[in-house]
Amino acid sequence: MPPRLPHPDPGIPDTRGPGRYLWWLVRCQWPRALRGSVVATAWMIGLAVRPYLIARAIDDGLRTGDTRALLSWVAAIIAAGAVVAWLGIVRHRTMTFLREDATARSSQVLLGHVARLGAVLPRRVPAGEIATVCGTDISQASWALTMTGPGVGAVLSYAVAAVVLWAVDPMLAVFVLLGVPVVALAVGPLLNRLQGVDTAYRHELGILTARAGDIVSGLRVLAGVGGRDLFARRYAARSQRLLRQGYRVGDIMSWVQALTAGVPALFLAAVVWLSARMAAEGQITVGELVAVYGYVAILSTPVWFLLEGGFMTVRGVVAARRIIAVLRIQPDDSPGGAAPDGPAGLHDPQSGLTVPVGRMIGVAAEDPGDAIALADRLGRYAPSDVTWGGQAIAGLDPGAVRDRILVADHDSYLFAGTLRELLRAGGEHTDARLAAAIHAASADDVVESLPGGLDAPVEARGRNLSGGQRQRVRLAQHLLAEPEVLILIDPTSAVDSHTEARIADRLYEHRTGRTTVVLATSPLLLGRTDVVAYLRAGRVAAVGTHEELLHTEPGYRALVAREADEPETDAAEVGALR
Amino acid sequence: MTGTATTTTSPTATSTNTLPVADRATVRRSLAELARAERRSVALALVLHVAAAAAGLAAPWLVGRIIDRVTAGATAAEVDELALVIAACVVAQILLWRTAQNVSNRLGERANARLREDFVARTLRLPISVVERAGTGDLATRSSVDVATVGNTVRQVVPIVLISVIQLLLIVAAVFALHPLLGVAILAGVPTTVAVARWYLRRAPQAYLAEGEAASQLTESLTATAEGARTVEALRLAGQRVRVGNARVERQWTTRRTTLALRTVFFPVVETGYALPAAAMLLAGGAFLANGWLTLGAVVAAALYSQQAIAPLDHIMMFMEQAQRGSASLARVLGIGLVPPEPRGVSCAPRGQQLLVRGARFSYAGGHDVLHGIDLEICPGERLAVVGPSGAGKSTLARLLAGIDAPREGVVSIGGIAVTDLDPAERRRRIALVTQEHHVFIGTLRDNLAFAAPGAGDDDMRAALAAVGADWYAALPDGLDTELGDGARQLNPADAQQLALARLVLADPHTLILDEATAALDPTTARRTERSLGAVLEGRTVIAIAHRLYTAHDADRVAVLENGRISELGSHDELVRAGGAYAALWRSWHGDKA
Repeated sequence: MPPRLPHPDPGIPDTRGPGRYLWWLVRCQWPRALRGSVVATAWMIGLAVRPYLIARAIDDGLRTGDTRALLSWVAAIIAAGAVVAWLGIVRHRTMTFLREDATARSSQVLLGHVARLGAVLPRRVPAGEIATVCGTDISQASWALTMTGPGVGAVLSYAVAAVVLWAVDPMLAVFVLLGVPVVALAVGPLLNRLQGVDTAYRHELGILTARAGDIVSGLRVLAGVGGRDLFARRYAARSQRLLRQGYRVGDIMSWVQALTAGVPALFLAAVVWLSARMAAEGQITVGELVAVYGYVAILSTPVWFLLEGGFMTVRGVVAARRIIAVLRIQPDDSPGGAAPDGPAGLHDPQSGLTVPVGRMIGVAAEDPGDAIALADRLGRYAPSDVTWGGQAIAGLDPGAVRDRILVADHDSYLFAGTLRELLRAGGEHTDARLAAAIHAASADDVVESLPGGLDAPVEARGRNLSGGQRQRVRLAQHLLAEPEVLILIDPTSAVDSHTEARIADRLYEHRTGRTTVVLATSPLLLGRTDVVAYLRAGRVAAVGTHEELLHTEPGYRALVAREADEPETDAAEVGALR
Repeated sequence: MTGTATTTTSPTATSTNTLPVADRATVRRSLAELARAERRSVALALVLHVAAAAAGLAAPWLVGRIIDRVTAGATAAEVDELALVIAACVVAQILLWRTAQNVSNRLGERANARLREDFVARTLRLPISVVERAGTGDLATRSSVDVATVGNTVRQVVPIVLISVIQLLLIVAAVFALHPLLGVAILAGVPTTVAVARWYLRRAPQAYLAEGEAASQLTESLTATAEGARTVEALRLAGQRVRVGNARVERQWTTRRTTLALRTVFFPVVETGYALPAAAMLLAGGAFLANGWLTLGAVVAAALYSQQAIAPLDHIMMFMEQAQRGSASLARVLGIGLVPPEPRGVSCAPRGQQLLVRGARFSYAGGHDVLHGIDLEICPGERLAVVGPSGAGKSTLARLLAGIDAPREGVVSIGGIAVTDLDPAERRRRIALVTQEHHVFIGTLRDNLAFAAPGAGDDDMRAALAAVGADWYAALPDGLDTELGDGARQLNPADAQQLALARLVLADPHTLILDEATAALDPTTARRTERSLGAVLEGRTVIAIAHRLYTAHDADRVAVLENGRISELGSHDELVRAGGAYAALWRSWHGDKA
């Protein structure tokens, strides 16, 4: 029975331990796991049927010359082949469903959790860690579930083979039943060793692949400055290193490959020798001799499954541990007090800044770090004494704050999707409002330049947009969110002056009547605000209109007009072109 | 800056400009070349594998002999003798197999090294305009996924398939040797297996590719949600991210059900087929035995061979699909070699440094003209600023000046020679294009500088770093030997841009074209970088594409580019006096001080 994926409700994972997490994945679909065990057992036992039938065909048909018996045993061989094939595919399908159900469940609980964590996440785990968890750990945890099917089946079919062999000859049975696991255990470490050297090789290969990718990403730089031959030589040198590493791996690997196949073959030879002696002495029949030969070959299947399953489980537990490490991170969703009913003023005691309601205030900070810290305080991303409508913002419900105050980061993440999806950011908007926001952000040409306009695909991080385009798309997106309080950080740093002048005008119109904070040092932007606060050493040093401050505050003038009175202080970039 | 909006940074816009994929003949030729270069190793590997497989055939045959002896009433001593021979054969097989594996492993490693080194060398020779038009995404996939797939195929899949084929052929030959009619019987399962394999292989590669893609899309979606966690919170995107993720889960499930459906047909048919040879062998054996054409032992040996054939057959079936994917990847890897490399250009040196643009028009791949007849003369040592709205063609002009693209009409020349006619290496020595793209290569700081000027010593490098104000250099633990780039020490954008500038100091071109070199940086960083820039610009001809007007203010001349035409050209003061678009913009920028 195929599962319906994605799960309507993935459930609440058991994060008390990696074992419990894996067990939870099984428990959520226990009927399927049970069916997997039954089918896998039947299939493995079925594998032993063919040697038995061949043996009977030899004993009853060939040796006695009984054509009818031979025909019926041959028919049985074909029928058994079909049944085993059917059992095999049912087992494979059931186990695939089991793994896929678990993979989807893990993906979904992780996805839900990561989406809920928000800004807490980057402080607790690096994004690369999440990439590993998603890329490999989820599927490794799912593979561990294979133990529930063939794992159980292996144990049961081994027991059945024991009974059958016992019936042939107890001494032989003991030899085979003990010998197969011993051989498997002897070969197992060899496999482990192989995995070790192969991991080292793969690591080196990863470095080389990264080098090639590095060269590809740097092609334009190389085209501008030169040095291609040098890079070709460096890559070749590293590639030769991998080649030598590959030789070393091949050295060991060829032994491992030969021995993993050879040692069981030697064991088989020993079994043949023992059983042939018994046949010579009349203890067993020739057919039984052939059957034993077949059983030994077949018995290795469950033993290998167990060995493989053991590795998988160990890896699965490690993977599950990393998954629950992410799932255990607690989101910052402590219930808090109710936010102010209507638009209310924000006040930051640390800098002394008061954000007036319904106005646009520019904040020009000498140190951009102060501006970012201020935005984090106003947006309740950092602990602070900021008040909103007189109440401490730290004590308010975080969800309510997020709904109404938007800190528009300079580098906010652009998710992959169509341009329209990106701009809407989860909300529903009419085309008219969409167009208005795009116009205000002066991003009309971005829409026009992309094939398909609003329906053009935008890659993650806006990789297929230029820096200036990304910035304007972000601005349009933030405007479209229409927050009660919008805090913009350097919204036009990457656009040309023509465009910046347009944005400054349109932004002011678009946000008329709503509280907006613009953290920037551009005179074009600051000139189109109601009031400007000049921040020096993290404190508000002066408040006034842009024009007033230009006249009264030399420091402000130097900051925003750059080429102003003291050429020696920041003339370097000017001197650059002088 | 926004100039590249209309240029070629967007891979989606350039579907007509994809990189080529090699056709079958080319792939075959390359493989033949590889085999020729390694013909001794290839021959040795084949001989060893055949010998190893032959040794593996001994056991069933000897079991058959044992059965005949036992049926004839042999003693335990005779059995011992034959059992010992079996053991000896197994030991011989182990040794032969090991050697064969080692030889073919090494062969595979060498072939791999050759393929990937060729690929990188050819990638490095690609004309940059081709790379930009095709987008680096495709190239990045080829360099990672395709090279790896080819590597894996050459290393693991090809040997296994080869060995399995050898084993199968020998097994069939052995059964033929027992009796020709038995040989025919062992082929009983072949027709159905071949039919279903063809059916499967026609569909499998596509389906598995889709599956892999869906899996990486899911991972990407989850990783993006984590990377953009703060944005998710700020814009209340949690619900949307979960929806997107669920859609990816669904897509992954759909693709996996497709591959599962293929296997659901393929596996049972093939597995059922495995029973047929044994059955046919027993039936034929029964008939022959009755006529006395064969001994019981021979029939048993044949039945055992039919069982022994299952493993190699299984391997071939399992790896066929991968081998197919490997050859598809190989076609993409070799495709890079089909792009004509950057032309070498004429070798003669230009007379002088004067840049001259006459009637230059340009359009991107069949589109409208982006530049409509540009005329411009830039004297050595001059500082020219190019300003204008987004999409006016500023970056395109920069690319023409740097010789990356040739004008559709008109001429762009330096010292009387068209810049695109210059030898690329020569051109780069004279004209450098600095964009907002800066890249820190994986390697030491020295590696990151050396390629700009192969002859530079450590002192030159330190001096270059000091010249651009890269004071962070002093704090590096291992100085010039500090490892940088992906996976090692990450430089922040400003430091990375300074590193790029230090390269320029080392490369020492007489003309610099700055295309919004600092636009992608945040304002503080941009300020620091601009300071470093001063050191680089000293004594050179500079053409600065600018989005900040103070750059224009300080230039010798300003060119205002609008809709692909130069609308105003003159010194800052002249333009302000002229009262045109530039003057208006300057006034608003400058506030009330003007």
